[in-house]
Amino acid sequence: MSDARRISSRRRPSLAPWLFISPWILGFFFFTLGPMVFSLIMSLHDWPVVGERKFVGLQNYQTMLTQDPMFWKSLGVTVKFAAIFVPLNIALSFLLAVLLNVKVRGTALFRTAFYLPCVISGVALVMIWKWIYSKDYGLLNYALSLLGTEGPNWLGDPNWSILAIIIASLWGLGGTMLILLAGLQSIPKELYEAARVSGVPAWAQTLFITIPMLSPMLLFTFITSLISAFQQLTIALLLTEGGPLKSTYFFAMYIYDNAFKFHDMGYAAAMSWVMFLIILTLSLAVLKYSAAWVHYEGEVKGGGNG
Amino acid sequence: MKTTRRALLSATLLALAIPSASFAQDKVLRFATWNTDPASIAINQAIATKFEEANPGVKVQIELYGDGFDDKLTAAMGAGDAPDLMYMWNFPAYKDALLPIDDLVARDAAEMNLDDIPAGLMNISKIDGKTYAMPIGFTTQVVFYNKDMFAAAGVAEPAAGWTWADLRAAAAKFRNAETKTYGFAVDAKPDPFDFEQFFWSNGTKYISDDGKTLEGYMNSPEAAEVLDMFADMIKTEEAVALNIGDDTPGSSLFKAGQIAMFQSAMWSKTGIDESGINYGVAPLPAFGDKPVHSVIGASGLSISKDAKDVELAWSFVKFFSTPEAVEMRTNDLPIRTSVADKLGLAADPITKPFFDMLAVSNRETNAFLKNPNWGQIQANLALAIEATMVDQGNAKAHLDEAVANSARFLN
Repeated sequence: MSDARRISSRRRPSLAPWLFISPWILGFFFFTLGPMVFSLIMSLHDWPVVGERKFVGLQNYQTMLTQDPMFWKSLGVTVKFAAIFVPLNIALSFLLAVLLNVKVRGTALFRTAFYLPCVISGVALVMIWKWIYSKDYGLLNYALSLLGTEGPNWLGDPNWSILAIIIASLWGLGGTMLILLAGLQSIPKELYEAARVSGVPAWAQTLFITIPMLSPMLLFTFITSLISAFQQLTIALLLTEGGPLKSTYFFAMYIYDNAFKFHDMGYAAAMSWVMFLIILTLSLAVLKYSAAWVHYEGEVKGGGNG
Repeated sequence: MKTTRRALLSATLLALAIPSASFAQDKVLRFATWNTDPASIAINQAIATKFEEANPGVKVQIELYGDGFDDKLTAAMGAGDAPDLMYMWNFPAYKDALLPIDDLVARDAAEMNLDDIPAGLMNISKIDGKTYAMPIGFTTQVVFYNKDMFAAAGVAEPAAGWTWADLRAAAAKFRNAETKTYGFAVDAKPDPFDFEQFFWSNGTKYISDDGKTLEGYMNSPEAAEVLDMFADMIKTEEAVALNIGDDTPGSSLFKAGQIAMFQSAMWSKTGIDESGINYGVAPLPAFGDKPVHSVIGASGLSISKDAKDVELAWSFVKFFSTPEAVEMRTNDLPIRTSVADKLGLAADPITKPFFDMLAVSNRETNAFLKNPNWGQIQANLALAIEATMVDQGNAKAHLDEAVANSARFLN
């Protein structure tokens, strides 16, 4: 009897687990879900910062899709940036991770050095790049002049500015690199030993062992890079302010301007939702088609045995 | 165990209570400005210190919003955390967040000696019969020129009644590629508020007076002519281009003797004085025989409608308009006639051109007062100006695009 009661009391739902996850739950409700719902409501209004709010239904969405060339232009800039930045970011991080995985003297030093830019505040980083890119006095163009070529006006030429932003953004690839490095180190050494004994060349080892074994990490970094590329704001805001000629006017920056320069919170909220839907769709698409190339250890595929 | 914990708790509470008790003695007035240059910042700080001396227990906390003034002010207002006092010029956009001061002004009119302040300046913040700010200063636009550089190059100094053709002819004589010296500076990203004076002086304007038509104004032949002229000055190297991938301000180049002429306003004067160069001031050049019209930049000091202590905030505003404080504001022109007279500004050759410009600049109304969506239209215009300077021409096409992209803001 007493035993039975103990069991039943154990089965009663307890508060403790909820308390344990409450920091996350509360944070999610108050700082993520709450603002999101609020912004959805905002997006259906003509919502100036000061003054009267007016319900306008889907008019904000209609305006941006049919009457606002800057919407498409800024979206184009962002897509262009993402299309170049994401593959470059992953390829270079992978390359760097492979290099840093090699056991030589001073590995720890190199690992720290390459991660260091991630530790510096974004604003400080951008100020440094501003100096580097300066047309007449910058380090980069000085280096190019030593090679006998005249460097471009990096931040002043609409054809070069987006590249300048991509290069500066790649400076922060330490985070991606770290994830891939951790992934590399968890690949069992036996696989390589077996391959070496069977005389498999190094390039084939990379292609058939390293990349498949690393694919879950690659998928993760692919999605996070994609999201961060679409949300790119800091570097462009500080380095070029969207210029020259709006060639680096990112979607996120147009949202910012609509909210805080033009006081059109409703329109800005509607744009944020469009961006959210774009990122969501892309991420889901990547996840859906990832099954074809992502290999999870412990997951047995039907049929094939190697 | 329990006692220790309680002791700890009360100690913590005590520690928290002590500083907050000492804070409570000071009343804090938050005052937001857009100042970025050290001279203007120092002037406001000096006035605030004077006010604190006269009002023990009050602390004026100056918040420098700088170039991000609008963004930060908007964010603060949106968060319900607006500063008590703020610089203000864009009254149509912010009036709902500002305190109308008509009753306070009427009450203290005698003490403030309002007859000493030109009515035109009191009107800058008047919308629908309500006043939202006390004027704090104003400026017209002029051309500063480096007398020593003119003498060394043997070029005649600018005189009243000069034209852009005269300025360009003079500017061409200063170009030296080796020392990176130019005659003039053209800003690819000028403040469109100031830039409209060139449209006015060439016989056009950004937008019709009813605020509903851009076609034939912003993209008129006269407008394109203005932009193309500045672009051509960059092309011929009569002028250095500012803000194309390099944000060195024109004032720095002028103070360093890298440009011989610099188009600016009163806010540059203190810095130029301090640099010690030998300079003169000329009125704005004319476009041929068309009448010149300068923009009049006047700003005010407003009180937030959410200010905690309105009387205290108002007493600061009043202090800001006393002759004593007005005289301290050497970075713009005094709002009080008595102060201008006392300092002899209308006769001084350095400040006389500012008053000459004021005398001829009363025909036009600023675009932001004509259309409630001016902020968005202006963004398109700014892009057209920048595009013309980068392209070194082709103004008509860029202005046409700006007009087309602004169509949705006209209703």
